[in-house]
Amino acid sequence: MDIFGSFALILAVVCALYAIAAGVAGIRARHPLLIKSARHAGLAVCVLVTLATASLVYLFLTDDFSLAYVAGHSNRDLPGFYKFAALWSGQEGSLLFWSWLLSVYTFIALFANRKRHPELMPYVGVVLASVQLFFLFLNVFAASPFALLAAPAHGGELRMVAAADGRGLNPLLQYPEMVIHPPTLYLGYVGFTVPFAFALAALLGRYPGEKWIHITRRWTMVAWCFQSLGILLGAHWAYAVLGWGGYWGWDPVENASLMPWLTATAFLHSVMMQEKRGMMKVWNFWLVFVTFGLCILGTMLTRSGVVSSVHAFAQSNIGPWFAGFLAAIAVVCVAAYLKNSDYLRSDNQLDSLVSRESSFLFNNLILLLACVAVLSGTLFPVLSEAVQGVQISVGPPFFNKVNIPIGLFLLFLTGVGPLLAWRKTSLESLTKNFGWPLAGGLIFGAICVAFGARDIYSALSLTLSGFVALTIAGEFIRGARVIQARSGAHFAAAVGHLTLRNTRRYGGYVVHFGMVLIFVGLAGAAFNQDQQAEMRPGSRLEIGSYTLVLQAFTSPPPGTENYNAERATIEVLRNGQPLMMLYPERRFYPASEVTSTMVAIHSTLKEDLYVVYAGRSPENQQPVIHAYVNPLVKWIWLGGVVLVLGTGLALVPSRQPVLAFQATTRPAGVFASAESPSPHAASLLRSGD
Amino acid sequence: MLRCALSALALLFLLVPPGVAQKTAQAKTIGKRMMCLCSCNQILTECNHVGCQVSAEMLAKLDQQVSRNEPEDLTIQAFVQEYGQKVLALPPSQGFGRVAWITPVVAGLAGLVVVGTMLLRWRRPASAVAGGGISPEILARARREAERESEE
Repeated sequence: MDIFGSFALILAVVCALYAIAAGVAGIRARHPLLIKSARHAGLAVCVLVTLATASLVYLFLTDDFSLAYVAGHSNRDLPGFYKFAALWSGQEGSLLFWSWLLSVYTFIALFANRKRHPELMPYVGVVLASVQLFFLFLNVFAASPFALLAAPAHGGELRMVAAADGRGLNPLLQYPEMVIHPPTLYLGYVGFTVPFAFALAALLGRYPGEKWIHITRRWTMVAWCFQSLGILLGAHWAYAVLGWGGYWGWDPVENASLMPWLTATAFLHSVMMQEKRGMMKVWNFWLVFVTFGLCILGTMLTRSGVVSSVHAFAQSNIGPWFAGFLAAIAVVCVAAYLKNSDYLRSDNQLDSLVSRESSFLFNNLILLLACVAVLSGTLFPVLSEAVQGVQISVGPPFFNKVNIPIGLFLLFLTGVGPLLAWRKTSLESLTKNFGWPLAGGLIFGAICVAFGARDIYSALSLTLSGFVALTIAGEFIRGARVIQARSGAHFAAAVGHLTLRNTRRYGGYVVHFGMVLIFVGLAGAAFNQDQQAEMRPGSRLEIGSYTLVLQAFTSPPPGTENYNAERATIEVLRNGQPLMMLYPERRFYPASEVTSTMVAIHSTLKEDLYVVYAGRSPENQQPVIHAYVNPLVKWIWLGGVVLVLGTGLALVPSRQPVLAFQATTRPAGVFASAESPSPHAASLLRSGD
Repeated sequence: MLRCALSALALLFLLVPPGVAQKTAQAKTIGKRMMCLCSCNQILTECNHVGCQVSAEMLAKLDQQVSRNEPEDLTIQAFVQEYGQKVLALPPSQGFGRVAWITPVVAGLAGLVVVGTMLLRWRRPASAVAGGGISPEILARARREAERESEE
């Protein structure tokens, strides 16, 4: 089966090479048959990489420890669930998984558009096949998952061997969330290849207008949604497994996933400028290029060992491959831009500085600034070592100091943007639309401060969250009222009608609301408390309004699990009243000889009680319990769910076309100024916003 | 036999030292200004490596220093002397460390200049936007956009 997998990968390399060669030849000769055969070769790559991936999964499920990758990342006692997940637990497998996801994306993009955009798709096929070829080269030549296990024999020769059992899966990965977190994040990373391919293809082929943006809008949103979900799942995994009481540590791997997310978010906003106003064409191309480049850069940083990270489960010397690929991307993008920059002339006319267009520009500026801050902080230790020979650390306090103000300003813009009309916003409409959300936000902030949120950033975050939530609510209410007035429908039905009629705009608002919930959750971090104590049965630990009483300390007999555990049984009292029992564990995995923790969390909307069994004291063998009270953490996960639902909503096609234009022309009070419709009235003129 | 060996091994691993509890609030505060050097990239008091020997050792030293009632900066200086500058969680605000602080500021200012320039260049002359009522051009464009987007 390993030979089958290797052979499938080599054939995939051949097909990808053919797809590029035939595609380029077809484009140059305008030969439809060549172009068709190039597309078929692109589709065949997907079939072949699927076969290779399936064969590796089979080898994991059948415990074939003659393969180095299987022996290094699985063992006989590992549950089947995790044997499947072991596919992406190491360098070689995760790169094969990346290749497979890319081939699936390519297949869908090529197949769905096989009869559309005949002038654009050949270029798209060539770009996708080129990216695919790079990853296939890695799979075959640099990090093959089908390498056999070898041991030195007499005389120094290497002899193929099969291990009796494997070294097991990294215990930190033996958590249900880790089965879905990496694929989700990879779907995000890899997904950005499609908009990149369309953008580069449009530039190379001088494809007219904004068509490439219309084609790739949903692709970008899907990739962005997966990236968001992947980041949040990773944060939740870090919170629930690593046992340090936090969910985001500004680790290089976390930063690597955040950077393309920031630029993709900027693109999702600025793309509207091009769609609505024909502006920012150059900007949008570069945002897509930079997003893709950051996906590759992040992968390079975390896999090459350039920066160290607790998340970097797979490190090797493949850095030069990625550096070369990154350089090639940069050269191709710059060359394509210089050659075709005249094609990117924009309308670029701004009627007023106080307009939606300006807010998008600032939104982009802030998102890119955040990206630069994260990138510079991530690379600075490497830079300082290269320049000075002394490493200077850039820890979480630096990232917090720099990025919290940026994030808060971004949150402010999230509230302001929707209140500004395209082209121009009058002072009257500005005052009218800002008045009560601002007042409401300030009142909400004051209430939070009165209830103890006495930290400047937290108070600001909560105030702005209140403001943004009210602006979003205002958008729904105003729109629903217009529909109510015209159709007589119930308010709730009007909200539903409004949302489904313009899913992109209102889905976007739901996404914004998800971000508001996330910021509420982040605001709680300023009030985290923790206590650590050696405990013996019957002893107590006080933290916040909780009292923890250690009831027992046991080692459950080994069952079918592939680990041994020690478990603390802790009774939780709140204000003296019994609340619940918690069972934090510490596990030892014999196969990999690694210890891990299983945190016990009692989660409410107000706060999480987070209890870690940290081990036994080396002095007196007493169990050490580390307890945290983390306020508002649950809001982050709720925000994530809302964000994903909102993106899903925005992806659904709007239910019906825009209502008759005449019907909305100047109803009383709709247009705030003569030239500029109010944001809401403008929304009635458009189906997408 | 193998089972016994594994159990013994397990017990050994379960006895790895947990992060030593900081005895005072001051130790906690100082600990948050330093990095754990076990490669976890976390601040000292939040190392997320299970049974991390490095942070345990560093935290024990921190408790010793604090118990001597030495000033906070002196304690940190002692750690810098022992572990180097990389023990500091924040880049220093002098020397090459300043670059880390300046970069986001410079990037922000450069971005502001770029955006400001773009806005000024894009701004349409006032005469083009003056006048009452919705111009036929805008109406026609709005209709075109509405039609186009309705088809999507």
